[in-house]
Amino acid sequence: MDILQAFINSVPSSIEQGLIYGILALGIYITYSILDFPDLSVDGTFPLGGVVSTAMLLRGINPIICLLGAMLAGALAGLATGLINVKLKVRDLFSGVIVMTGLYSINLRISDGNSLLTIPRNAVTLFRNNALADFLPAGTSSLIISLVIALFIKLLLDAFFSTRFGLLLRATGDNEQVVTSLARDKGNVKIWGLVIANSLVALSGGILCQQQRLFEASMGTGTLVLGLASVIIGTTLFRSANRDYSTLAVLIGAIIYKLCYTLAIVLGLKPGDMKLVTALLFLGILGIESLKKGGNKKHVRA
Amino acid sequence: MKKYRFFVVILVLIAVITNVSAKENYRIGIAQFAVHGSLDNCREGFIEGLAEHGFVEDKNITIEVQNAQSDMGLASQIADSFLATNYDLVCAIATPMAAICANTFDDKIPVIYCAVSDPSAAGLADENGKNIGKVTGTSDTLPIEDQLIMMRALLPEAKNLGLMYTVGEANSAVQVKMYEELAPKYGFDVVVTTVSNGSEIALAVPGLISKCDCISMVLDNTVVQYLDVLLEQADAAKIPVFGSEVEQVILGCVAAEGLDYIALGKHTGDMAAMVLKGEDANSIPYKVILDNKLYINTAKLEELNITVPKELLQRATIVD
Amino acid sequence: MLELKNIHKTYNPGTVRELCLFEDFSLAIEEESFVSVVGSNGSGKTSMLNIICGSIGVEKGKILIDGSDITYTKEHIRNKRIGRIYQNPALGSCANLTVLQNLCLFDAKNKRMNLTPYTDKKRIDTYKDMLSQLGLGLENMLSKRCGSLSGGQRQALALIMATMTDIDFLILDEHTAALDPKTSDVIMHLTEKLVRERKLTTIMVTHNLRYAVEYGDRLLMMHSGEIVLDAAGSAKGELSIDKLLGLFNEISIECGN
Repeated sequence: MDILQAFINSVPSSIEQGLIYGILALGIYITYSILDFPDLSVDGTFPLGGVVSTAMLLRGINPIICLLGAMLAGALAGLATGLINVKLKVRDLFSGVIVMTGLYSINLRISDGNSLLTIPRNAVTLFRNNALADFLPAGTSSLIISLVIALFIKLLLDAFFSTRFGLLLRATGDNEQVVTSLARDKGNVKIWGLVIANSLVALSGGILCQQQRLFEASMGTGTLVLGLASVIIGTTLFRSANRDYSTLAVLIGAIIYKLCYTLAIVLGLKPGDMKLVTALLFLGILGIESLKKGGNKKHVRA
Repeated sequence: MKKYRFFVVILVLIAVITNVSAKENYRIGIAQFAVHGSLDNCREGFIEGLAEHGFVEDKNITIEVQNAQSDMGLASQIADSFLATNYDLVCAIATPMAAICANTFDDKIPVIYCAVSDPSAAGLADENGKNIGKVTGTSDTLPIEDQLIMMRALLPEAKNLGLMYTVGEANSAVQVKMYEELAPKYGFDVVVTTVSNGSEIALAVPGLISKCDCISMVLDNTVVQYLDVLLEQADAAKIPVFGSEVEQVILGCVAAEGLDYIALGKHTGDMAAMVLKGEDANSIPYKVILDNKLYINTAKLEELNITVPKELLQRATIVD
Repeated sequence: MLELKNIHKTYNPGTVRELCLFEDFSLAIEEESFVSVVGSNGSGKTSMLNIICGSIGVEKGKILIDGSDITYTKEHIRNKRIGRIYQNPALGSCANLTVLQNLCLFDAKNKRMNLTPYTDKKRIDTYKDMLSQLGLGLENMLSKRCGSLSGGQRQALALIMATMTDIDFLILDEHTAALDPKTSDVIMHLTEKLVRERKLTTIMVTHNLRYAVEYGDRLLMMHSGEIVLDAAGSAKGELSIDKLLGLFNEISIECGN
């Protein structure tokens, strides 16, 4: 089977993965792009969502409730990062690292010490053995369900950003002074932002575990890089002066990222080389972005 | 007339049989989870095993090898890619890879796994040991009891046995538990130290060394990677370190009752050959491989003044 | 009535760079007065504003508004009744949000920042009216990013937004310093208009002696954390720029400049 054929066959599953990880990317979009807060905790929050959702699912709980549980867990993790940064005045980078390190142990506790949890074939998940999945055609049900979920989250987020609080959140990342002038506590707003973002990250982890029917303790490694790459690829490629297409851009960025990896696998690139490819991709896009901008948003034209 | 019909039937039968068994080229994928001596040996053994049954690379099979480099996300994409390429069979090496392949393929491609310590915990077999889906393979368990017997034979006086493993490697925790159960039978008290990643090992070793008379290695990916760090300090303190497989003894452990991973791979290759010849993977029960060999490092044994009893020496393979 | 009573403020206490700025500093500002504050660099003008707004704290002393002690009230809570304009126009609005979005934000200052949609179609006309009074064309730039506005435009917008809601105090921190002379005049006219219309108690720190003399009903000159000149009402009317400059030089010579 030639390379092109193999690649084309792999596209649907890459898109599916991209959509699921796209939700993670939306969370990172909130912290990195909107709040300007480099949240390193996502490497811990992503598997947290996965393990909570899986542990609940293995106890027979409804898959959607499991995902809500995952989101709650992520929200708590985001709260921790926020409190450490705002109340204890620890630097943003370190706050995230502290939470990520702590979550490593907590995740293993939740999984009862197991680094691998598998979900049986006949279990009811968001992707299998439920009314919707049985209704859709077998080969594409997974992809369609992923698409539905990703779009749902995207639209929810769009609606959020059209609210007053959503606007305040954007203001916090842009100019904290304005938030204080608005008689609002910028620290609290930041904490809320972290809560929302991390609940999305955890949701993504939970969905992935239901889709692949397993939780693996190291699944969080590299999620920050993946999320950042998706955000940067998406927002750089899909800029618009008139409307804000950011949420859609981020989802597409995640899909493109996954497609790049698939291409690399199909071409037979060694996995070790793929990390280098990621780095070069990052460098290329960030380089283009910086050359285009050439300015600092804190200064004003005379 | 009757002769004709008979002749035609024979011809058709021959055509059918030759078509079914003499496929031009089988396409096989090998998905390895991590870069690791034992896993590499599995892969080599697998390819050898296939060859012994007449399936030779570039003759009648093409093999594609992918390594996930311990990255679960990459492992998942490799599984997706293999599914999209529609291989005839996939060999998955190590538990996480076996699990993700089995779940991704959903019986569309048979999975023959290698080096999975606990197939039922990985969802590959049920509690009764029956395969789930078109999945089968080989399972490796550490010959802990044999190791304890051997250690006692080499160190008649030793009391405290030190173990180190990485939090999060489930296999390691299982092995440590088995040690804790069996060790007292041979007069050992087990002392356990845990680390959460490789960089902590250098710091944790002195503490462990001070509390024990000897150390034994479990099959922990991280600790095995940092074995030289452990050996450096143990040698300085004259504490013997027993390995869990041959590579470690070559590196400087005094001895090991080790699994032969090439042999494990070969057994896996045997099963794969059966599947290629038409058997249903589900109907081939998975094999737990227990044959272990004794490997010894005579130079290290001499350095630490340990005498090897004759019975052990007779069956040992000297690797230095 | 705003009162600063016996304020002590030391920067970097206990270090090599320790600087005692205010020692037993007191000041009372009447309601609806417009106070201009001038002084040399480092005289404490901006620090005084920061102390009033709560951006920095004090070691000793009290800050009272109409008798209530706000010394330990957080900055963002004090800001409910304060509008502040900074020297850097970039600080008064969000660069990556549009003019309309910024207006919506400030319009909601006294409302609940909850999950209601931020645009209110009915208010857009009101915003356009407010902006058209400036004569800068901003009413047609509602969907423009604030970051692409000029300094003068942004400062004017900041002034409108700061005074949009019901406030008692207007704090101006050299708010025309970064603008060209013509735009500065425009901003000052606007400032005076707003202060008059809304009856705001205003404190304006400025380096521009002409503005200090022409605007406001009270003038303070500060030096090294002390008030060296306090002219109100008719006394202020008699001041001229030359007189002020003379005073400036006197103080500078005293300090050995």
